[in-house]
Amino acid sequence: MFSIIAHEELAPRVHRMRVRAPVVAAKAKPGQFIILIIDEKGERVPFTLSGWDEDAGLVDFVYIEVGKTTRRLAALKVGDEVAHFVGPLGRPAEIGRFGNVVAVVSGYGIAAMVPVLRSMKEQGNHVTTILQTPDRERLFGEADLQLFSDRIIPVIEPNGEEVTGSVTRSLRRLLANSAREPIHRVVAMASLCIMRVVSEITRPFAVKTMVHLTPLMVDGTGMCGACRLSVNGNNRFACVHGPEFDAHAVDGWEVMMARRCTYADESVLQQGFQCRGCSQW
Amino acid sequence: MSERNGQKASSEDGGSKKSKIDLNRLEMPKQAPEVRRRNFDEVATGYTYEMAMEEAKRCIQCKKRNCQQGCPVNIDIPDFIRLLQKGDIEGASRVLKAKTSLPGICGRVCPQEQQCEHACTLNKKGAPIAIGRLERFIADWERGEGIISMAQIAPTSLKQVAVVGSGPSGLTVASDLAIRGHRVTMFEALHVAGGVLMYGIPEFRLPKEIVQREVDYVASLGVEIRLDTVIGINYSLDELLRSRYQAVYLATGAGLPMFLGVPGENLNLVYSANEFLTRTNLMKAYLYPEYATPVKMGGRVAIIGGGNVAMDSARCAVRLGASEVSVIYRRTRDEMPARLEEVENAEEEGIRFYFLCAPTAFIGDGRNNVAAMELIRMRLGEPDSSGRRRPVPIPGSDYVMEVDTVVVSLGTTPNPLISSTTPDLKTSRRGTVLVDDRGRTSKARVWAGGDIVSGGATVISAMGEGRRAASAMHQFLSE
Ligand SMILES: Cc1cc2nc3c(=O)[nH]c(=O)nc-3n(C[C@H](O)[C@H](O)[C@H](O)COP(=O)(O)OP(=O)(O)OC[C@H]3O[C@@H](n4cnc5c(N)ncnc54)[C@H](O)[C@@H]3O)c2cc1C
Ligand code: SF4
Ligand code: FES
Repeated sequence: MFSIIAHEELAPRVHRMRVRAPVVAAKAKPGQFIILIIDEKGERVPFTLSGWDEDAGLVDFVYIEVGKTTRRLAALKVGDEVAHFVGPLGRPAEIGRFGNVVAVVSGYGIAAMVPVLRSMKEQGNHVTTILQTPDRERLFGEADLQLFSDRIIPVIEPNGEEVTGSVTRSLRRLLANSAREPIHRVVAMASLCIMRVVSEITRPFAVKTMVHLTPLMVDGTGMCGACRLSVNGNNRFACVHGPEFDAHAVDGWEVMMARRCTYADESVLQQGFQCRGCSQW
Repeated sequence: MSERNGQKASSEDGGSKKSKIDLNRLEMPKQAPEVRRRNFDEVATGYTYEMAMEEAKRCIQCKKRNCQQGCPVNIDIPDFIRLLQKGDIEGASRVLKAKTSLPGICGRVCPQEQQCEHACTLNKKGAPIAIGRLERFIADWERGEGIISMAQIAPTSLKQVAVVGSGPSGLTVASDLAIRGHRVTMFEALHVAGGVLMYGIPEFRLPKEIVQREVDYVASLGVEIRLDTVIGINYSLDELLRSRYQAVYLATGAGLPMFLGVPGENLNLVYSANEFLTRTNLMKAYLYPEYATPVKMGGRVAIIGGGNVAMDSARCAVRLGASEVSVIYRRTRDEMPARLEEVENAEEEGIRFYFLCAPTAFIGDGRNNVAAMELIRMRLGEPDSSGRRRPVPIPGSDYVMEVDTVVVSLGTTPNPLISSTTPDLKTSRRGTVLVDDRGRTSKARVWAGGDIVSGGATVISAMGEGRRAASAMHQFLSE
């Protein structure tokens, strides 16, 4: 059993949970995720790590209440336990001395990108962060991002309209200026729609763009193939070959997005984002 | 080894009793097909006490012990049957437990028709003793009575062993070494122990309660089971060897599913058998929403492949409520790797078989859900390396079949998680770990067995390899 050490609501329906899991904390790297099961009848749900303390044996993740399991999770209190907790799963995010890095975040990515940016800063990169949120009320985590960003561009859209449009505008502006201020790398941890648009925008500029993909998962260890996607024509499993992929090598975004929402009507396996016009809704 | 093995075998086993030989092999009661199509309860309900006695009495107690030689873990079959004949079920169970910690599992899923029962003297007359059913009866009886006969545990050796993976191979090594007095820690990546027995083989063939009972038995021998721990991530193999473990046994199975590699294979509602079975069995999607994991499935389900895993997937689909389940296999019925018994069970349950055809593409419904598949007909050509005749596509024979859900069941290969983080562990091109005839790998103090070595075989062979490696490991630990 894994005890809950802290649990707070960061914004409406956005929560941070801290769990005692020394074995996970000992190996955690930026961009990796865990899978937890609330109790013996629960499902296996993945969450990207937003922080950890190896010495104290604690790990943090941020989740959004979207489905049955996350609602149950939100009802748990400090001192309660979850039955299973395994990780860190997946490959760590690629960190390096790239130069100017642009990060695009929304949803849980606002928190889960923080460890990535911390390492990016340690490598001496200049970091610009585009932070998307549907409204002021649901804006969270800006302070943590500020610590490891040289500049933050908040994109706050009333009523959640044209979200991808406004992220697009901000990113386009940066790219338009790239003759004076070159962009060496883009990294995105946001809704699938945003990441897809981001990848199309950077493609003509040949700016290497990494996206954190979150297809449905079951085991998280490469056993079931639920998380498969096509990368450069090869079948790849997001749980072992990802979750970070080179966005320009990913083919079949549409199929991936459809697969992601297979169970959206019954139980959302992963904290996600309801996309407008998505075929599965 | 039993003392009887040393005796001179008579050439005509039981010859003098010929006239008395009873050739009425007793069938095991089963749920009727139309009933079992609607539930996940066990299909075969097991012998009653009277039936077990009647079947046991048919055994002629051959001196040659053909049956025992046919058993991959060398169970003293004539001995347990003799005790059963006398009504000493507890004694019979002790005989079983001396060679297997998993009798309730072996009795249900071993291919006895190729092993002990194939070798049984009475098989010459077409009526071998139903050894598997008797084994199952003993295990179930023990469970019913709440009696647990325990193997004798040797005094502690102060040596420590890590077993990686808790499928039948890992469970066998863990119990063998615990019985010999070593301290065993078994690591498992998933949230329950049992490997394929839990996540693959369906409830209606092997109730999960029985697997867990046998896992509990292994734990009761002093084995520490650490769930939710992935070797290659939480600890590398080298880290295990550097810490308190003198030896390591790798039994991580062959968990990586293979796909066809044809267009449209990633469309929504195209599953690997592993995902379909894991959702259904391990996560108990058939009890959704009481259990939180769903499995989405349309009415017309096609299963691609002809092995046991394909049969299990097809039979799960029927029970989950599919209106039409088809098995698509590229060779003919004769080449199907599935056990005949399972094929017959599937047919009784209304599953249709389409031979000599294979999918060449999957077609979406415009919303990225699978709606149909393109198939091409095959004919059989020359035998390939497996000795089976190779299927050859017939040009221009393409046709389309409408489907709502597809389950791809083409087999699996070992998960590279450990080998990729352990450069000095030699593997084959297929990714299987290379071992000598006693299960020793290229890496010092590391043994391996089960599907990670064979690439996918049977529960009993995984146990047999475990047994062999355990004795080599014990020898090493005693030096
Ligand atoms: C659907 C299906 C039906 C079958 N039916 C039959 C049958 O009727 N009769 C029969 O004899 N055989 C059958 N088989 C085959 C049989 O189940 C296998 O041969 C057998 O289970 C192999 O045992 P194992 O111990 O080698 O591996 P597994 O049972 O695969 O166990 C390996 C375990 O290791 C764990 N693991 C993997 N990687 C790691 C890691 N890095 N760290 C920690 N743990 C890890 C896995 O989670 C798993 O629990 C069937 C197989 C399937 C899939
Ligand atoms: S089970 Fe068959 S082979 Fe074994 S002793 Fe009895 S009759 Fe002989
Ligand atoms: S989640 Fe099962 S293979 Fe990735």
